[in-house]
Amino acid sequence: MAFGACLRTISREYRLNVCITSRLFSSPVKSTASTLPSDAQEQFNEELERKSVTPVDYRFTYPEFLPDPAFARRNTIREKLERMDMLKRRSQIDIPEFYVGSILAVTTSDPHSGGKPHRFLGICISRSGCGLRASFILRNVIDHQGVEVAYEMYNPTIQKIEVLRLEKRLDDELFYLRDALPEYSTFPQDMDPEIKIDGAAVPVNDIKVKLKPRPWLERWERKNLKGVQDLGLPERFYKRAEELATPWEKYDLMKQYRATIPEEEQAEIFSEVYSELHNMEIARKKLKKRKTFIKPKKSG
Amino acid sequence: MSTNAVKMATRFGGGLFSSHGKPTNVQLLAQSFQAFKIQTRDIRPGSKPGTRPDSKPKQRFPDWFLKKERVQYNEGLTAENKAFVQEVVEDKFGPPAIIGGIATYKSPLKVEPLVRGEWTEKSRRTGVIARKIGVYPLWFKDGKKVLTSLLQVIDNHVIQYTPPGEFQQARKLEKALWKPNKLGCLLVGAESTDPQKFTKEYCGLFSKSGVMPKKILARFLVTPDAAIQPGTPLLASHFRVGDYVDVRGKTIDRGFQGVMTRWGFSGMPASHGVTKTHRRAGNIGSGGTKARVWKGQKMPGHMGNRWRVLRGLRIWRINTKYNVLYVSGQNIPGETNSMVYIYDTVLPLRKFKEPPPFPTYYTEYEENLPDDIYYSDVHQFSEPSIMFEENK
Amino acid sequence: MSLIFGVYARRLHTTCTCNEIQKLTRLRVVDNSEIGKQAMAEGKPPRCIHVYNKTGIGRIGDKVLVAIKGEKKKGVLVGLKQNQKPLVPKFDSNNVVLIDDSGSPLGTRIHVPIPTVLRTILKERTHVKGTDFTKILAIATKYQDSPQQSVFSYLFKI
Repeated sequence: MAFGACLRTISREYRLNVCITSRLFSSPVKSTASTLPSDAQEQFNEELERKSVTPVDYRFTYPEFLPDPAFARRNTIREKLERMDMLKRRSQIDIPEFYVGSILAVTTSDPHSGGKPHRFLGICISRSGCGLRASFILRNVIDHQGVEVAYEMYNPTIQKIEVLRLEKRLDDELFYLRDALPEYSTFPQDMDPEIKIDGAAVPVNDIKVKLKPRPWLERWERKNLKGVQDLGLPERFYKRAEELATPWEKYDLMKQYRATIPEEEQAEIFSEVYSELHNMEIARKKLKKRKTFIKPKKSG
Repeated sequence: MSTNAVKMATRFGGGLFSSHGKPTNVQLLAQSFQAFKIQTRDIRPGSKPGTRPDSKPKQRFPDWFLKKERVQYNEGLTAENKAFVQEVVEDKFGPPAIIGGIATYKSPLKVEPLVRGEWTEKSRRTGVIARKIGVYPLWFKDGKKVLTSLLQVIDNHVIQYTPPGEFQQARKLEKALWKPNKLGCLLVGAESTDPQKFTKEYCGLFSKSGVMPKKILARFLVTPDAAIQPGTPLLASHFRVGDYVDVRGKTIDRGFQGVMTRWGFSGMPASHGVTKTHRRAGNIGSGGTKARVWKGQKMPGHMGNRWRVLRGLRIWRINTKYNVLYVSGQNIPGETNSMVYIYDTVLPLRKFKEPPPFPTYYTEYEENLPDDIYYSDVHQFSEPSIMFEENK
Repeated sequence: MSLIFGVYARRLHTTCTCNEIQKLTRLRVVDNSEIGKQAMAEGKPPRCIHVYNKTGIGRIGDKVLVAIKGEKKKGVLVGLKQNQKPLVPKFDSNNVVLIDDSGSPLGTRIHVPIPTVLRTILKERTHVKGTDFTKILAIATKYQDSPQQSVFSYLFKI
């Protein structure tokens, strides 16, 4: 969503400002730290270093580690326990980095199919929830029939999550694929994973989807979508959409503040989980290298 | 001392009888006030001379219902003085220790130990004070999900124990006259707080047990065999996984609400000639012989902010490090971060079959528990993914 | 006039967001039964005229009575538009498989994937002397699909 992206850029700038000012103000804290005993001083320094080391994009890579910003529902100890449990689960199963628009395949153990694992491949059309409640929806068209499956990320019946194509789309949610032509959400079940170059930025797929004619599930002309072709509606639809638009909301800093976790808190959260997540990433890379080595043997 | 005497004393001024070894004017005044004092502590008719035999015992609040908060005026203390006051506090209660993310103080166990009773089926243990810190899911080994509420037992200490004979329940006085209460009363406090924030009399409650003054107090009725020595900490391991508990909390305050929100009435149509009665209740009674509104008629009014108990919740997991109980259900009364009281359940089929930690779990006597205890059916996050066995 | 009425009639939705199956909901026949194929080809998909449960709202695996080409037939819901629980697939159409009174399907194959939950649900609803729903499972070709699965479901075919 253009609107969301815009919001995010603004909020980032705003947060950066906040960060700078807070750093300016945090100088007296440092001076008190220097009076601490040497052990504590070292620890403090280490913490500072670790904070600066944490990559900025973790909030996009691991968004579910950020708690629900609703103030009434927050509690630091619960959030900490939740993060610890998430890391424990992640030590058992590799939950890779993916975005809305990426193509995933999820293998679950299914009690209904007599203990046989079950694999579903599709495009991720939404990602929601935080903490252990994080979930995502995969969509695919099988035998001309659109199928969607919702997965809970930390559900222990999930055996494997594979990312076959790592990319982003222009919008934050792809629910409009339900009203799009079926070829836009059709992916072969035996799709091969695409090889990604290490360290490269995640590509943005700027494909413009063609929607079927109305009736639709939602009034897409009011959603300010970027990834759809011209909707081909009469002028009055766009006029009404313009009337109902709320372009001033992107200037509402308080609204933004309530809907997001402040940058300082994000840094705190990610500094706590950084080392473990980082180790997992390294282990995954090693595994991948080994896999790529084996692969030609298998195909031959 | 009659009221006349008081009048006399006030008329003639102080020091009238003092020269002859008679009461001083201060004593006199005290006595006169005594005459005006309402007899609140009297329980049995005729037990005390001077009271009317037919006088009903007055309902009174328990001893620990004292003024808690004190006006925090600016005393203009210098930084050194403030530090000194802090030092005095630490001298008395020891330095603060952060255990499981919460600042606590070690209790000195000043009162002499009580004899530990044996558990019987009729025993009633103490409950604990906890804070509802949120909700998150756990999964069972068969792949099913359960939403659990996290209840953190925060820095609980036993403050005092009143044996059955001395303890009278305030609300059940008249009944108690006929049938003496067989339950003792255990006063439990949660969240140690700087005593400077409280009034002197409130802090006095804690002087006997030597515990740091607590922000929250609760009384639990226990059988005498479940009495606990004041100063003993109560932990999450007071319960075990698989046990059932009742949780009492104050529901979310929703203010004055109409019938649709408060009672789930369906309201009236939006159109078809309906005017000004879209969210109203409609008729509240019939005519004829019963031409009145029945008692209990559901009407608009204040919703929430009431004590409610959710019974028979199972404990699926216990974190002994942070003292957190994972209790089934996402509907425990109250908001996140509100206080709840946890009791052993009263539901007959879910009561203890085996003896629980009795009267509570003592860290000194029992073996050390692991940080995280799961019920046997619950999938641990550190275990590998669930695989279902192939069935034919 | 009829055109205007038609336009307005199309805008009238019943439980649009819930996508519930109730009386007069249009369904899609997904088996290869003769009557079902004809109805779908003519653009006259069957209507649900009764749901055989206590709520009157069809969930997955429920038996329904449908009006199809002027006849009354029974069917089983094998895929819903409605939002489902995690791991249960949600489909783009409300799919139904026609059955006769004994529970055996009118067609010989189902040409869309069906959710694996149906196995458990239909097995639970089958009684020794009552209707045998498990025959529907036998004609299914795919379960939510996957290469390994389709092989398995062919094996499942009797």
